[in-house]
Amino acid sequence: MERSLSRILLIILSLSLILPLLMILMWSVTVSWPFPEIFPRELGLRGLRTIFQPGSRALDSLITSIRISVFVTILTLAITIPGGKALGLYEFPGKGFIKIIVLAPLIVSPVAIGMGIHGTFIRLGLTNTELGVILIHIVPVIPYGIRIFTNIFELVGDQLEEQGKVLGAGSFQTFMHITLPTIMPGIISAGSMIFIISFSQYFLTFLIGGGSVQTFPLLMVPYIQSGDRMMAASYSLVFIVVALLALLGIEKMLRLYYSKNSGIAGVFYTKNSD
Amino acid sequence: MSIIWDNAMKKMSSTKKTLLIGMILLMTMFLFMACAGEEEETLDLETMTWEEILEEAEGSEVRFYGWGGDQAINDWMNGFVAEQMMEKYDITLEWVPMNIDEILNKLQGEKQAAARGTADMIWINGENFFTAKSNDLLYGPFTEMLPNFNNYVNSEDVEVKYDFGYPTEGYEAPFGKTQFVMIYDQEQTPNPPTNHEALLSYAKAHPGEITFPAPPDFTGSVFVRNIIYDIVGHEQFLDMEAEKEVVREAIAPAMEYFKELKPYLWREGETYPATLAQLENMYADGEVRMVMAYNSNLVSQRISSGMFPETSTSVIFDKGTVGNGHFIGVPFNSYNRVGALVVINEILSPEVQASKYNPDNWGDLPVLDNDKLREEDREIFERVELGEGALPQDVLLENRLPEVPAPLVPIIDQIWMENLLD
Repeated sequence: MERSLSRILLIILSLSLILPLLMILMWSVTVSWPFPEIFPRELGLRGLRTIFQPGSRALDSLITSIRISVFVTILTLAITIPGGKALGLYEFPGKGFIKIIVLAPLIVSPVAIGMGIHGTFIRLGLTNTELGVILIHIVPVIPYGIRIFTNIFELVGDQLEEQGKVLGAGSFQTFMHITLPTIMPGIISAGSMIFIISFSQYFLTFLIGGGSVQTFPLLMVPYIQSGDRMMAASYSLVFIVVALLALLGIEKMLRLYYSKNSGIAGVFYTKNSD
Repeated sequence: MSIIWDNAMKKMSSTKKTLLIGMILLMTMFLFMACAGEEEETLDLETMTWEEILEEAEGSEVRFYGWGGDQAINDWMNGFVAEQMMEKYDITLEWVPMNIDEILNKLQGEKQAAARGTADMIWINGENFFTAKSNDLLYGPFTEMLPNFNNYVNSEDVEVKYDFGYPTEGYEAPFGKTQFVMIYDQEQTPNPPTNHEALLSYAKAHPGEITFPAPPDFTGSVFVRNIIYDIVGHEQFLDMEAEKEVVREAIAPAMEYFKELKPYLWREGETYPATLAQLENMYADGEVRMVMAYNSNLVSQRISSGMFPETSTSVIFDKGTVGNGHFIGVPFNSYNRVGALVVINEILSPEVQASKYNPDNWGDLPVLDNDKLREEDREIFERVELGEGALPQDVLLENRLPEVPAPLVPIIDQIWMENLLD
């Protein structure tokens, strides 16, 4: 009884995830679909053709988007791994306060943050540059990285690192061969999250990038606003597929690398990913 | 915070300390270096001849910012216009889709920080032009420097001299013209209403199948003004003072009309479509019988893209419909003014205007003065085939009413909202 109930719930849940995606797929090729009809009356490829035609802006912006998000992911990981470790493992005065303050970007609206930083970035010459966009994207993703790594480090502790040090490993060796492999599941989940959030930024990109940095959402949002369903759906479709591929790619790469390069990773990894 | 810092410093060895301080210093230096070296002299365009401007602009990049929600317009900008500029002047034209509010915010921010801009041309009109000009966000006057403006545009035309009743004074060059139309499916509505009374009885005959985006939506607001014109005439508004009570009295009969119409609207007027986009989709889906556009050629684009039924047709009121122009301005902090001037000049050429008029590209009405055109140029326009469902240019122009002055627009919207939304 309970089993069949949970199965039904599962089906409803998956449908509610898959159906909207199916709708996007349908609308990306639908020319006209009047109200009472169940299937579209006319199909066409205007949307997808516009995106994939040679020399298309959409493809250029897609590459820019991916490049920015990759850099944001790497930089944010570099900031949040040590940050999460400090919050997860060490005791120091004001820790509770810092734990809350790093979550601030989740609470304060990005519009307010963006407007404030915009003025500073203009003075620093960072507006209208890709570097500026990368830096501003780090703001909204920091809380996720810090949260995930704080939890991970609280979970795994630092005994393994101590052991390594006792056995004569240097700080760098310890980090590469012990810390990194043990937190790999965290890197994958935080990394994917950071990538997706950065990839879908619209307001901050356009505020700091000022139109000189054209990412994929910058071309996509005007179509969503203007209600051209075919273009909006085509862009969304490409957006979702690329984001998914990028995520799968990140995960595959990291898994492969660490299962080959470190024995300990394999052990920890299978343990945690069950 | 300082306790944490002190503790952290105590724990660190002295080499680490020096390293950290060194790094902080280095980063600060980088940031300062990034801000330096932004000064550069601007050319005195007024004293340059057109040939010198052309020469200066060659090989440069021009960034044109404007609304990017229409695939046909985007393609035309990135395609035809960009190619023309590259071929003729070796100018790289970059079309940047961005809403005008956002562009103005950006310019405002740049003005406060006295920063160099990235936009060389902006697509602008009406209240936004008013805002931009009164905040000194525009460069100008520049139109009289353009040979094509002097040769082909009638600078005495009201629609060139004024934008929503606000004098342009050469701070923006005409780009195109549009006119408000209502669109019906002829199969469903063989005799579409051509005045406000007919519209009311049509709504009564088909309750729940007529609606419009509520002001302050751009198009909904035009629709309301058009109904007002149809009921109380348009002349009195042209020099009306922007005083709420004055306006309220003038448009009172129209507000009564809207109250009478309300129960026959979609969802009995309790709610309105949020955007024109939503109304267009509702019409495409067969949910309502009429859609409107502040773009007299929208219907043919929508028919050819397959969104609207092929039997859709544009309708205007017997007393005419509101028309307006849209313009191109140059931001005060444009980096490449010469380039912008060359591009704007080219946009005012018969070739580009005719290409823009072609419904396959965009279908926007040209701004050039027919009397000033040479015979061969006039032929270019005559060769353009009108799209399906659209009204010919001369019919539109004969039934074209001027916009109210820009300051009245928000007042009318406000009064409408006070009366009809509760």
